[in-house]
Amino acid sequence: MSVSPVRLLAATVAAAALALTSGCAPGANTAEPSAASSGPVSVDVAAMGEITLTVWDQEVRGSQNDEIEALNAAFQEKYPNITIDRNAQSFDDLAKTLRLALSGSDAPDVVEANNSRSQMGAFVEAGQIVSLEPYAEAYGWRDRYPESVLGLSSYSADATTFGSGNLYGLPQMGEIVGVYYNKAKLAALGLAVPTTWAEFTDQLAVAKAAGETPLALGDLEKWPAIHVFGPIQGAHTPADQVRALALGNPGGDWTDATNTAAATELSEWVSAGYLNEDVLGSKYDDVVARFGEGTGVFLLAGSWNTAALDPVMGDNLGFFAPPPAVAGDAPSTTGGTSLPFTVTSASEHPDAGAAYIDFLTSDDAMKVLAETGNLPVLGSAALAPTSGGGKDVYAAYELVTTEGNLLPYLDYATPTFSDTLGAALQDLLAGKQTPEQFTQTLQADYGAFVGE
Amino acid sequence: MISRGERSAHYLILIVFSIAALWPVVTILASAFGPAGADAGPGVAGLHPENFATAWREGHFTQYMTNSVLVSALVVTLAVICSVLAGYAFGTMTFRGSGVLFYLFLLGIMVPAEAIVVPLFFDLRQLELIDTIWAVALPQVAQSIAFGTYWMRTYFRSSNRSIAEAARLDGAGSGQSLWLIELPIARPAIVTLVVLVFMWTWNEFLIPLVMSPSGNMRTAPLGLAFFQGQYSTNTALMGAAAVLVALPVLVVYLFLQRHFIQGMVDGAVKD
Amino acid sequence: MARSSASRTGGSARRGGTTHHASRGHGPLTPYLFILPAFAIYGAFLLFPLARSAQFSLFAWDTVSPAVFVGFDNYLDLARDDVLRSSFGHAFVLIFFYAVLPLGVGLVLAAILNRAKVRGMAFFRTVVFLPQVIAMVVVAVAWTRLYATDGSINALLDLVGLGEWSRAWLGDYLFALPAVGLIGSWVETGLVTILLLAGMGRTPQDLYEAARLDGAGAVREFFAITLPSVRGEIAVALTLTIVAALKTFDLIYMTTRGGPGNSTTVPSYQVYYQAFQLGQVGTAAAIGVTLTALIFGINAGLTHLADRATS
Repeated sequence: MSVSPVRLLAATVAAAALALTSGCAPGANTAEPSAASSGPVSVDVAAMGEITLTVWDQEVRGSQNDEIEALNAAFQEKYPNITIDRNAQSFDDLAKTLRLALSGSDAPDVVEANNSRSQMGAFVEAGQIVSLEPYAEAYGWRDRYPESVLGLSSYSADATTFGSGNLYGLPQMGEIVGVYYNKAKLAALGLAVPTTWAEFTDQLAVAKAAGETPLALGDLEKWPAIHVFGPIQGAHTPADQVRALALGNPGGDWTDATNTAAATELSEWVSAGYLNEDVLGSKYDDVVARFGEGTGVFLLAGSWNTAALDPVMGDNLGFFAPPPAVAGDAPSTTGGTSLPFTVTSASEHPDAGAAYIDFLTSDDAMKVLAETGNLPVLGSAALAPTSGGGKDVYAAYELVTTEGNLLPYLDYATPTFSDTLGAALQDLLAGKQTPEQFTQTLQADYGAFVGE
Repeated sequence: MISRGERSAHYLILIVFSIAALWPVVTILASAFGPAGADAGPGVAGLHPENFATAWREGHFTQYMTNSVLVSALVVTLAVICSVLAGYAFGTMTFRGSGVLFYLFLLGIMVPAEAIVVPLFFDLRQLELIDTIWAVALPQVAQSIAFGTYWMRTYFRSSNRSIAEAARLDGAGSGQSLWLIELPIARPAIVTLVVLVFMWTWNEFLIPLVMSPSGNMRTAPLGLAFFQGQYSTNTALMGAAAVLVALPVLVVYLFLQRHFIQGMVDGAVKD
Repeated sequence: MARSSASRTGGSARRGGTTHHASRGHGPLTPYLFILPAFAIYGAFLLFPLARSAQFSLFAWDTVSPAVFVGFDNYLDLARDDVLRSSFGHAFVLIFFYAVLPLGVGLVLAAILNRAKVRGMAFFRTVVFLPQVIAMVVVAVAWTRLYATDGSINALLDLVGLGEWSRAWLGDYLFALPAVGLIGSWVETGLVTILLLAGMGRTPQDLYEAARLDGAGAVREFFAITLPSVRGEIAVALTLTIVAALKTFDLIYMTTRGGPGNSTTVPSYQVYYQAFQLGQVGTAAAIGVTLTALIFGINAGLTHLADRATS
């Protein structure tokens, strides 16, 4: 039997005509997201009745999982009328599915959303998450958190300005991207923790000459290389420039000499063989695990990896903030906070959601975070551990937040920047783009967004 | 006429291609039974069947497998009933518009899920059906009906009509003769349709991914995808989870492989 | 094979216009009542959304603000945007690996197996057909292992002295797309071979015997008899596998997520990404419609070829 193309075409056209005439424009009768009740908010959790709170988080790594499980149990014990229905998935899977989930009719109540314009910004613009301002007042969050941290979870109501405006979420953990190192290997090479950026890059050459893998990186997911480029950029580009670029606010220029120099340095690292050869084909977590087992002298990555590395390496694990260009200067590096917890507009229990967020970020919760081996966003100096890689991480975080510059993640910048930057970095690492082409690619995305 | 050498070459080819087809399957089985970590212990004769229990628990497969079973049951039931009825009409009755209508059904065989999933999501959200079993199942029923109607029509057209004719002369109506006479004879064709629709539904990825944004109706393949996000470093648990997801279709295949191969080969060629 | 790829082409010649088998023992409405349930679901959940897709593709809609009618702009974007355009290019590379390569291998394999009725064929069929029934996500997990730096592909290369070729296959700009494509070849070769074997089995044996009496060798026999007799099956095999290649979503989602760079991104992956991650619904619908048009076009073309060949 054969299907006549003419008949197929006719049938298609007929079906299309049917819909064009009968259907309405996409989204024509989309209901406006119900405005959250503007009445007074309640903080009396026990009086809220039986509630099931659906929570989406991405705390799946060992000690992060421990922390959430412990706090969820404590919350439900304190408020037996509330049941937490937890849905945990990896950072990548959350990025892939969260927008879809918030568009659905059965959206979760509380979600961890990336501060970036591609997530929190988009959700604010779409009215899918609620402003936490009334709760900030009710719970005193502005006293609890420094303004610099709250700024990273703040947008104007129309989501055009990032960094100020309404508060939309609260993070649990501090994050700093720095240099993990294998103490035994560094000692074997006769090296000490570097004090300047130039000294650090010289050490990469020494490690290479000794037959080691100087820097371990798994970039299959595209975003991990952002955390290698960030510190390099921090050593070259002035901090306020990076902030403008990273927040997608006007005033930055990707193609200036400093950013080009940073890109050039990264591509030189590749040609010098400082990175493992399977960078683009290896998963982030796999390479971190490999580093833990003894492959690689340095690992340029975020502080959350202590969760996976500390149990394996113990006192052999060290960490330092990327050293400044001039010895004694304040270091600049990428960092900030873990993904903030937000309350969705679709939630029928925003008061309970806010109470849960308050609980997750209370002083007691910070203690639990520290006890489970995580870096709490608040009070890290007092809660610092006395040994292991975690100790160094706390010290570096303290140093950079008090004296240096903790620069926002670069992928925050525009709705598409995470993918643009991730793909461009892979292109740069593979030698598919020159440093100049790389900065032009980024400027095109950033420029189009800022110029609109 | 065919030399010994040629015959040996034939066997060599059979063996080489069989190994190539089985190699990835064996790899995944081997990793599934391997040690899941440094503290996994000696296992049972060097094997670690406990990986399956761990993967099942850690990957929340009770929920995902239950969803898969419910969705598959619903899709198979609805799609097969509708297809048999429509195929019977197209295959045994003459009526106005049968040609155009049939071509309209054939059209659906070629429409990829990618082409319908976007408006389906937004329209079903409007109807508040998203995140229900219906949103996951009904688009798959529609896709299966396109093939099923074609398949059953082909069967009824080629089946022996004299028995049905006799039944009609005895005064049986269309419904009665379908139910009492045709269905028992059509059993092999229907079984083939059942196993194919079951396989397609069990293995489907995009539709359950999009139609269950809250994750409540996620099916087993999605469970594996999200499991991979969290346990990618643990090849043993990944392997075990992969085997769990593939197993139900594999078991059906091993018992009813004739239906799979016939359905997919004959279904593509026969008229 | 997925249910939506089982396209019918070629095969046996069209039957004459006789209304054979028609039973007339039914009322005028009976056939419509029989079709009604199928058509209701099919119309509501396939035909209607397909038409809605065509309609969506003419609008710019970010899922938040009101949709704006933009005519064919979304389609022009497919041609203008580097990443979107390259995604269709990648789809054509995958067609080579899903369709052309398995057809070549399948033809040779089936011709050889058809010449000699060897024992163990039943086992062979079961085994080579196996990849068709395994969920693509599971296939992806297995092949990600094989392609890993410490996977068995690299181990094999080391073993045969080609160690310098070993690499992280899925992270290599040059090899990631072919590596994904080869997974498709692995899945489709068995189906194609069995399809062709069935076709060759229907070829009258006396043709072969006559050719052998004429002293024709295996090669001449293949081109003179085998190949012409399975034209219909070739058209079917190509349609099935090409459609499968164009629908590669779960495999990319699980293995490379479009990387490295954008070197393995494909249209079906872009549909999901544009609609549900970026909120560019119009663009996503335009990609979906273009994909469908491509499938219809290829199917129509192959049908045309097969019809010409049989007439």
